[in-house]
Amino acid sequence: MLRNNWFSAFALLILTTWTTGCSDKDVPDAENEEEIITKVQLIFSPTEGAPVVVTALDPDGDGPEDIAPSGPIVLAPATEYELFIKLENTISDEDITEEVEAEGDEHLFFFGFSEGIFESPTGDGNVDQRADVINYLDKDVDNLPIGLITAWITGESGSGTFRVMLKHQPGIKSATSESTDGESDVDITWTLNIQD
Amino acid sequence: MRLRLFIVLVFGVNLSAWAQDLCVHQIQGQVLDLDTRQPIPYVTVIVKEEPGKGAITDAQGVFEIKGLCEKEFTLVVSHVGYKEASHHHDSYHDHPTILLASDDHLLESVVVEGIYNQTSLQTISIDRLSSEDFTAAQSESLGELAGRITGISTISTGQNVVKPIIHGLHSNRVLIVNNGVRHEFQNWGIEHAPEIDPSLAGSVEVVKGAATVRYGPDALGGVILVNPPKLELGAGFEGTAGVVAKSNGRSGEGDLQLSYGSDNLVVAVSGAMVGQGDLHTPDYVLTNTGKQEYSYASSLRYHKHSFDLEGYYSHFYQSLGILRGSVNGSLEDLANAMESEVPPGTSPFSYDLNNPRQQVTHDLMKLKGGYVWDNQDISFQYAYQLNHRQEYDVRKGTNNEIPSVDLKLATQTFEVDWNHPDLGHVNGNMGLQWFYQDNNNVPGTNTVPFVPNYNVMRAGLFAVERLEAGSTTYELGLRYDIQYNSVRGRAPSNEIYSNELTYSQLTGSAGLKQNLKNHLNFRSNVGLAWRPPNVSELYIFGKHQASIEYGLWRYAYDEEGKISVSEVLSEENKPVKPEVGIKWINTLEGEQDGNHWELTAYTNVIRNYIYTRPAGITNTVRGAFPYFIYDQGDALFWGVDAAYRLELTQFWKLEAKSSYVWAMNLKERETFTNIPPARVDVGLDYERKPDFLSSSRVALGLSYVFRYFQEPRVITVREILEAEAEGQDLFAENNEMFDFMAAPDGYFLANLSWSAAVGKWEWSARISNLLNKRYRVYTDRLRYFADQTGRNVQLSLRYRI
Repeated sequence: MLRNNWFSAFALLILTTWTTGCSDKDVPDAENEEEIITKVQLIFSPTEGAPVVVTALDPDGDGPEDIAPSGPIVLAPATEYELFIKLENTISDEDITEEVEAEGDEHLFFFGFSEGIFESPTGDGNVDQRADVINYLDKDVDNLPIGLITAWITGESGSGTFRVMLKHQPGIKSATSESTDGESDVDITWTLNIQD
Repeated sequence: MRLRLFIVLVFGVNLSAWAQDLCVHQIQGQVLDLDTRQPIPYVTVIVKEEPGKGAITDAQGVFEIKGLCEKEFTLVVSHVGYKEASHHHDSYHDHPTILLASDDHLLESVVVEGIYNQTSLQTISIDRLSSEDFTAAQSESLGELAGRITGISTISTGQNVVKPIIHGLHSNRVLIVNNGVRHEFQNWGIEHAPEIDPSLAGSVEVVKGAATVRYGPDALGGVILVNPPKLELGAGFEGTAGVVAKSNGRSGEGDLQLSYGSDNLVVAVSGAMVGQGDLHTPDYVLTNTGKQEYSYASSLRYHKHSFDLEGYYSHFYQSLGILRGSVNGSLEDLANAMESEVPPGTSPFSYDLNNPRQQVTHDLMKLKGGYVWDNQDISFQYAYQLNHRQEYDVRKGTNNEIPSVDLKLATQTFEVDWNHPDLGHVNGNMGLQWFYQDNNNVPGTNTVPFVPNYNVMRAGLFAVERLEAGSTTYELGLRYDIQYNSVRGRAPSNEIYSNELTYSQLTGSAGLKQNLKNHLNFRSNVGLAWRPPNVSELYIFGKHQASIEYGLWRYAYDEEGKISVSEVLSEENKPVKPEVGIKWINTLEGEQDGNHWELTAYTNVIRNYIYTRPAGITNTVRGAFPYFIYDQGDALFWGVDAAYRLELTQFWKLEAKSSYVWAMNLKERETFTNIPPARVDVGLDYERKPDFLSSSRVALGLSYVFRYFQEPRVITVREILEAEAEGQDLFAENNEMFDFMAAPDGYFLANLSWSAAVGKWEWSARISNLLNKRYRVYTDRLRYFADQTGRNVQLSLRYRI
């Protein structure tokens, strides 16, 4: 008698859980991938004339295909340029540049280039050493540079490379934080030719 | 029954008077030492309610008392040098096993009824820590505690996230059973530690064989059993409260356990909590390695004649910090982190828990009913578990407050287990197990889910039979499982993919146990175990830290032999079989004059073993990354464990343990990473109680862990970056397994402890890493970034009510 009651109780339990369980065929929600940067665009804007634009587009995100920076960047010698950097998430069609600007106190661009290829800034850029000169034109809320807008004056004809690094340095960005601090969000190298 | 009724009616005799003349009840049982599990002869066993009825155990520790008048009574078991055991017994539960604890042990004696070996496989030996080692380690995580048993090692991500490795296998290949219920969690992740608090457990045991016949898939390496404290009827009010403080991490923990046992009912409640700040190495602070944890449990046991009912509920919460300096977003970052002497982001000590961190809760509810009749018993068990895991990475802006992994895993299990009556010399049990699991990504992470949603339903049927022929026991087990998986996920473009999978497998186990003369016994077991591929192995896609992974169904080779990830595959274009392993394990165990030794040798062949291997380097917006693909092939493991315990004098004891694992990927003809290196542990104990204390023990432990000498080739991050800059993909020509850093050198560790008790108070002082040594552990993922922790002084105090 006691055994029968328990058997039926358990059978009922299995039945209810089985039926409630089997009806769950839900798909995970679509998520808005907010942080991924899939396209980086460099716009070298001279005081006169057409801007020089190069892009780097990641064709498959985390897939095995390499990013192919377009280029080379061709700049005229002894010319002033203002460099604007644009960041986009082409998968969700979002402009990331605004976000980086809004969170400027956590972001910092570092630049690296062949030694002496620019008249200003001189040297090889601040990727190896923060103290090396870069002409930042923008500032964040703490009065530290961000790097979305920078000033450049090319030297004489030559060729080399131009590297752009965006570091995410939450809580650690300072006047002396290096390119080794924080996490890299962008790290792309283009070929650079200075020629007429 | 009818005869008695007739007699009463005819002769009008008082029924109870009749019953008293029918003193036909008896009891038979065995008395063993709690630690050595060896039989104790000349133990006195008496029945409290019937003075004059008693027995003395024989050379095998067996006793028999006949002519008892009541079906239920209290057994009192006592022997010089041991703590008395008192047990409420009824004749429905046959053959109790009484484990007597010697006087100077901290634990009490325990009585076990029914099938003692919970896996019901007697041809595989069970390993456990001695009661003192267990009490000493209860404030550690489950992985660390289990890692003290010979043959068990650990795979970890720092000191907060520790998982057990049994004979070279871990994660999905090791089953953890908590209070008789399979612990269901996101086991596929090497960084996901089991959510169980050993401070609320009664004992932890390890079965190092393929015990899948009893518990279902996943037990390819073995099973770790976490057993609750025993709920004894008639024990009255019992309890214990303890506090522990540790210098490394400046942590404090406390636990409280209370129980009340009457004749028919036992109620128990327990709770524990711990707060820990940053740990430190001998040289620097390990920033963001604090943790907070609390857990509580309640259980109830009701017993009436041949019926037993048990209810259990536990809740576990854990928030763990992961070393700040281990976060990296690119190979360049990884190289910087690995080359820094002090990890990046190191700051002074703090109790703060920042990102990256893990936050997990685990709820377990269990209901079990058992019934005993006619030399057989049957039990029904239902369990429900809910595991909620959230992982927080260092992210931009408001996303830093949102987890990047948010998974809810709900599992239900229902089991029926029947121990059938003995058929001559054959005894055994059979059972039916039903399993239903639902895994869901909780929305709102702002990143495409890492693993898909899935539902699993599984049914298993098993039988284990034993033939006792003199000094030999033969055992044969068979099991059939059938499993249905339904998977639904999203690709990075948010496109949906889905799949329905079916798996079925027949597994078995065959073994023998031979009692040889002179207290020597030999066990041998060949077991077949299986596990279906995990959804992460099939579907994982994308970047995690400084590498990218593609699951088995997320990549394919195109006509030119290059990897393409555009499609999500299924079993039609790429069949993926479950892993099936055969483990042959042999143990020789001996005991002589208080000396105990054990030698285990095993070999494990796993077909369709799933592993990752490097497949190339890709350049992304963040720089270059190596990518790994999942692949399948055969694997071979073999190894040896040895343990020796020697009583040098009445007070001095020596213990030596050693283990070694050899592993090989047969398909690629190369080694695996994360295989524990060989090690030797030696312990020296001095146990002598001065008059003013009830017990006192001083222990010195020495360990030497060898360098893992089967390591794969080393390719540093800088070498990868330099080759990439020159347009060379290092893995395109040679895709052999590699490591970013050479295996750490062998190291020597020492620890010292003193534990003592007086009356109801117990205390201990322990120093681990006594010499404050700098060292790194090969199976710890954080070895790329930081040393292990330095010296730790631990003080604990306990009161037994």
